[in-house]
Amino acid sequence: MARNGLTTIAAKEFFDHLHSRKFLLIFGILLIVAIVGMIGGISEYNKNLEDYNKHQSTIDSPLSSYMAEKPSILSVFSSVATYLVFVGGILGIAMGFDLVSKEKESKSLKILLSHPVYRDEVINGKALGGIAALAGALFVVLFIALATLLIYGIVPDGNELILIGIFGLASFLLIFAYFAIALFMSTVMDESGSALIYTMIIFIALSALIPTLASTTVTELVIGNPPELPRELIDQMQHPANATEGAGITVTFADKGNNGAWDEFGEKMQAYSEKRQMVYSTLALFSPTMNYDAIASAVTQQYSSTATVIGSRGSTTTTAAFSVGTSGDVGLEDLLYPIIASMIALLLFPVVFFGLAYLRFMRLDVR
Amino acid sequence: MIQLEHLTKEYNGVRAVNDLTTEIPDGEIFGLLGPNGAGKSTTILMLTGLIEPTSGRCLIGGLDVARDPIRVKQQIGYMPEDVGFYASLSAEENLTYFGRLYGMDTPACRERSAELLSLVGLDGVTKDVGGYSKGMRQRLGLAKALLNDPAVIILDEPTANLDPQGVADYRRIITEVARKGKTVVVSSHILEEVSRVSTTVGILSKGRLIAQGSWRDLARELPEKADARVTILVETRDPMPDLVHPDLVSINYEHDRCGAVIVARSDIRDAVSDSLTLAGIRIRSLSREGLTLEETFLSYYQVAG
Repeated sequence: MARNGLTTIAAKEFFDHLHSRKFLLIFGILLIVAIVGMIGGISEYNKNLEDYNKHQSTIDSPLSSYMAEKPSILSVFSSVATYLVFVGGILGIAMGFDLVSKEKESKSLKILLSHPVYRDEVINGKALGGIAALAGALFVVLFIALATLLIYGIVPDGNELILIGIFGLASFLLIFAYFAIALFMSTVMDESGSALIYTMIIFIALSALIPTLASTTVTELVIGNPPELPRELIDQMQHPANATEGAGITVTFADKGNNGAWDEFGEKMQAYSEKRQMVYSTLALFSPTMNYDAIASAVTQQYSSTATVIGSRGSTTTTAAFSVGTSGDVGLEDLLYPIIASMIALLLFPVVFFGLAYLRFMRLDVR
Repeated sequence: MIQLEHLTKEYNGVRAVNDLTTEIPDGEIFGLLGPNGAGKSTTILMLTGLIEPTSGRCLIGGLDVARDPIRVKQQIGYMPEDVGFYASLSAEENLTYFGRLYGMDTPACRERSAELLSLVGLDGVTKDVGGYSKGMRQRLGLAKALLNDPAVIILDEPTANLDPQGVADYRRIITEVARKGKTVVVSSHILEEVSRVSTTVGILSKGRLIAQGSWRDLARELPEKADARVTILVETRDPMPDLVHPDLVSINYEHDRCGAVIVARSDIRDAVSDSLTLAGIRIRSLSREGLTLEETFLSYYQVAG
């Protein structure tokens, strides 16, 4: 008789997930928020496109140089990402927190391991079943998102499809990261309730605590306050030697005689900003949520001349700049380069936590 | 054949099983006896490959359980005391899943499941296992243990939750299985149950095997240990004098019956009679009987210290 432990266990886990009420419930919520997010995003996209077209028709106006680029189809996914980062995390946790602990509680683990299967087949099978169900769920979400785009008459081009693929991959890695954390806690804890609570604590720490620690205020506590403008430069600004007044408008020109002081101050500010950015970026790497935000922002807000790629949504910290024009000339390498660290960090989370779950399970005391 | 060679298991420096060496021939129904903490479950977990011994080894069919667990597990069927199944699946689905892990194809699993569910009296039960009583789960556990037609069947407290009909079915099935040349290891604290089905028993105490053989063999060895139960009935409710004798193993005073039950290594009726007469107590009856299973079992413990 040929053994097929891994595939048998993976198949059972996959179908268990598909029949699980909690999976179906959270998946349903994910679908609803994805559709609602898409519809909202499409509405916003159409409005921006209309503004853009209006602007194009007034291209000879002197103000036309301030007009933004043509809106991107990817911006539609921005609000989906906002929901996905939370609901997706919960879905990953819900699928993983009781995978092993439930078997310990129901005593089926002892029975299962008394069969001719290696322990690694059991833990790998559980992970594979979960990953397959997650990937399937995400595929359905992305498929429906794309279908929604098409229903509204929006057809993405090749580059945009690649970017949607990157967005999907990042979303998968985010959910997989929380799934792996939950799976690890499930191997550590004897009770599913405890596994869930500790996983939620980790989830909150990674998705809320680290972004808080990485915020400007906390970062400044670590690296100190920004350098102050030298007195002489303040005086110079307050009493400019070569200010021109007229019709209530004051125009100040830099005093060429103090260029050295300005340069020195500029260098200090630059060094401070880099230090602050380094602290922020380093902290951000420890949060799947922040890494996902960085990737999602880079993908969905690609047409900003300076895009926010690391930081929680709404953060104003600028860490990378893209020089991209219209949708036709998006440089993928330009986009991928600044998010590569976030992508690797996001990939490392499931790898590390699954590795820990694996080691723990291999040494699990079955009594 | 099952061979245990100097099998030892330590948990945090405490020896749960200590230098256990024995052989169980094919076709035996071997009863593993002992009180809580004697090392029965630990021995069974090592036999099933669920835990590895600290030292020593278990061989099943000549294969080392720790070194060749997959091939060994193909040959064994195991039912733990607290048998657990997947609550959201039916009995047939559970058995089909486990059958697949043995490498059986799905139609073969279904066919074998139907056969075994009928054997244990669960045919026609379609509800999920989550709705099963403990006794039904135990019946299903027995079916699961027989799923791969194993050469060795290991059962931990198999009748703990069964009703009388279930116990009778279990006895019938186990006896039938052993008749086909399969080896059955039954761990239990229910002496009556073990004595009914087992051909040999091993008595564990503090991780050590203190006796092994058929009940008859054990009884034959008892002259060196304890072979007599002396029941005394006296004609007074006054306290009896302390009885002192080198062969005395235990004495239980039964004040309600105005008497005592004495277990001893020899027939000490004369000595008991003399002591009571000296104390002025009139003896109503003084009888000697063979030991019950429980007394035999306890005698081994008392002698083992």
